[in-house]
Amino acid sequence: MTIDAVYLLQLTLNGIALGLLYALIAVGLSLIFGVMEIINFAHGELLMLGAFAMCFALPVMGLLYWPAMATAIVATMLAGFVIYEGLLVRLKPDEFERSILITLGLSIIIIHVMQYLFTATPRMVDSQYGFDGVEIGAIRITWTRVIGAAAAVAAFAGLYLVLRYTQFGRAMRAIAQNRDAALMVGIRPRVVARNAVILAAGLCGLAGAAISPIQLVTPYMGQFLIFKAFALVIIGGLGNIPGAVVAAIGLGLVESWIGGFFEIAWQEAAVFVIMIAVLFLRPDGLFKRGGMRVG
Amino acid sequence: MTALLSVSDLRKAYSGVHALDSVSFEVAAGSITGLIGPNGSGKSTAIDCISGFQKLDGGKVVLAGTDITGKPAHLIARAGLMRTFQTVRIYERLSLRDNLAIAAQQFDQATWIDEFFRTRRYRDAVEQSEQRAAELVDLIGLRKYYEIETGILSYGQKKLVALAAALMPHPRIVVLDEPVAGVNPSRIREIEVALQQLNRAGETFLIVEHNVEFITNLCHQVIVLEQGRKLTEGTAAAIHTDARVLEAYLGMTPEMAEAEMRGAA
Amino acid sequence: MKLLLALLGALAFAALPLVTSSNYIIGVGISALIFTVAAAALNLVYGFTGLLSFAQLGFWGIGGYATTLTVMTFGGNFWLGVVYAALLNAALALVIGYPILRTNRHAFVISTLTFALLVALIARDWVTLTRGPLGIPNIPRPQAFGFAFETTPSFYWVAWAFSVATIGFLYALCSSRIGRTLIAIKQNEPLVRAQGISPMPYKLASFAIGAAITGAAGGVFAFHLRVIDPGFLDFYYMQTFLIIVIIGGAGSFWGVIAAGIALSALPEALRFSADFRMIIYGVILVAAMFVMPTGVAGWLRERKIARMRQALQ
Ligand SMILES: Nc1ncnc2c1ncn2[C@@H]1O[C@H](COP(=O)(O)OP(=O)(O)O)[C@@H](O)[C@H]1O
Ligand SMILES: [Mg+2]
Repeated sequence: MTIDAVYLLQLTLNGIALGLLYALIAVGLSLIFGVMEIINFAHGELLMLGAFAMCFALPVMGLLYWPAMATAIVATMLAGFVIYEGLLVRLKPDEFERSILITLGLSIIIIHVMQYLFTATPRMVDSQYGFDGVEIGAIRITWTRVIGAAAAVAAFAGLYLVLRYTQFGRAMRAIAQNRDAALMVGIRPRVVARNAVILAAGLCGLAGAAISPIQLVTPYMGQFLIFKAFALVIIGGLGNIPGAVVAAIGLGLVESWIGGFFEIAWQEAAVFVIMIAVLFLRPDGLFKRGGMRVG
Repeated sequence: MTALLSVSDLRKAYSGVHALDSVSFEVAAGSITGLIGPNGSGKSTAIDCISGFQKLDGGKVVLAGTDITGKPAHLIARAGLMRTFQTVRIYERLSLRDNLAIAAQQFDQATWIDEFFRTRRYRDAVEQSEQRAAELVDLIGLRKYYEIETGILSYGQKKLVALAAALMPHPRIVVLDEPVAGVNPSRIREIEVALQQLNRAGETFLIVEHNVEFITNLCHQVIVLEQGRKLTEGTAAAIHTDARVLEAYLGMTPEMAEAEMRGAA
Repeated sequence: MKLLLALLGALAFAALPLVTSSNYIIGVGISALIFTVAAAALNLVYGFTGLLSFAQLGFWGIGGYATTLTVMTFGGNFWLGVVYAALLNAALALVIGYPILRTNRHAFVISTLTFALLVALIARDWVTLTRGPLGIPNIPRPQAFGFAFETTPSFYWVAWAFSVATIGFLYALCSSRIGRTLIAIKQNEPLVRAQGISPMPYKLASFAIGAAITGAAGGVFAFHLRVIDPGFLDFYYMQTFLIIVIIGGAGSFWGVIAAGIALSALPEALRFSADFRMIIYGVILVAAMFVMPTGVAGWLRERKIARMRQALQ
């Protein structure tokens, strides 16, 4: 088979778009891990809630993309707030296993309540952009993908600025780097952790909203994505945000390329195979965790 | 006396900060050696590097003629170096009996096959371990807690459990990180006597401790660390009057000052 | 005393087919026995050794498929299939366990989860071996010495013998020095190392034994269902094992056994709606983690300790 350059480029662009969406999820997980040393198993369900919010908001808003997306983000941030104040706040920093079991229970509850309320039937989401796309030469990409990718890039830029230049961002990095020292200089871990969870939930909401016009929306859509995101934060080094972004975009590319040339099964398995290989070679992930670096 | 433990040119930095900067010292066989210094001077780091709990950046550690530099912790323990930790480590959800039994189990010859068939070897090993445990439990005065989960004990009592566990397998050398910090003062004197007794029976100790009286009463030789360097060493009496040591201790923390007051009183 | 009770319980359980002729109830009994074994294996790995392993689901599935394929594709019999399933899982657990046990405990949990998902993907996508989503139906019931365990009550004895044997083995293991060492590793790994014990071989052994038993249990369960498809790797099974361990009390041997028997009946009792059942599972899990994080057994134990503490003052 000769490799068609246009086809390859198309796959590459799709891969980057996909990778950016993975990165939105993985960065949220990494953020929460950095601040609280816990893994949020229900993170995928936040994404699913974001997608459902988009799905319900769009018709109400006359299919306008941006207001619906904003609604979805606010809705998931609210969900993040409730989850933090209701459950996560009771966890101590070293209760990793407990955090998993609690958020696993939460994830089961959210999935099945959604399924109970809205059935498992997949939903198609239509927006103002429909299935229109841009065409550059022989390459065609739908607007929803382009906008989703652009929104993700904007979100990362915003996140970078927040972590780097705001009081809250500095507090978050301080806690991730040295918890005890941060407590001594008067940083309140509860407030920081709550904000981190809300921020992570917002990123997830954005991802869910951006995905919904591209993929079918079902109560289960978060589950498989979240497992990939778990693998990504491991590959990138737990708590390492840039590491997670790099790993996520890398995975998007690899999956897209594999999907273009091999059987679909390999595409799904790639992330897990890569993760096991990385762990074998570098037990702490590709980019070792050195507190929460932002650049 | 020959050196049982010999440490030379030990170096260790935590992200640029020199916790240990070319520290060398020896622990004579059959001695009680003290390792003192202000908080943060690198005492615990030295113990961690010697016992295999921290990777060292450079230097050499020799135990009874064998190079143990950089070996994994469990192999160093098997080579005969038992240690305790500054923040007490015991199995809080196991009984005192189990705590002591586990401490000795790697050092007997009984395998799981012996255990399954309850062979003579297994029964002997258990009996010996029980005997030793009984001695040590009397030593630390916790006989009535023998069958009880150690989690309910006070902090000082837990330190004593850790001490007893380290003594269980008759190691060549016992390294204690602040063994009597937080222990009831009325018991400290008894521990002193007990350690002296064990020492006379041939046990070698390396002790990190802030309680100056404790160190003075016990140690044959004292090594003083300051900011990761060896400041001086000598007999307890000599150290006590050394100007540099006093100076190093002037920048001491309140708890240390208090310890010294207690020592002087 | 506990042992005597357990023996009586086992005998009472053996009598189930004699007191009811309902295949449905006996079927629930079979599930209860097998789930209890899988939960006890998870208890060994998580409750005793402290390794929160989601790989159990993968081992369960591999066991189910390995046993089925031994009979359906490779012409072996059920008994051999169960043995192969156990051996295959043990070998696999050693191979994947070594790298992932070297990482930190966070990465361990996620790697095991990933392994389980990978197995599910393989079951779905390796169509030439597993027939993919179609599954493998019409699995025959086992035979021994010319006797076919054809009916549900007769297969019940097979499941009963299997669980009594494996639970007996696990009990011997957990109450031995090895079991004690596993608990020690869970409670304070640095101390274990300071006492001359290398944690790695113990963790690996625990992981591999847990895998072997879970796999064997999966094999028996596939022959109870008489059909296997990728649904065999549904996350539901993992959740069930976990809930049994959490409610029974991670690290309490008999607590988990009792919870296994009691809670396996629960999904059947709550049969009204699959979604509702899962919601209740989730609520139980979250509530248990807050109200009794150490399970029923842990709760009883804590009360005992509180009494002791009072007596000492
Ligand atoms: N794990 C660690 N990471 C970074 N710095 C450390 C660590 N442990 C100790 N240090 C630093 O090394 C120095 C020596 O510490 P330590 O050995 O604990 O002193 P001591 O036991 O004498 O009080 C201190 O400055 C301490 O802050
Ligand atoms: Mg110290």
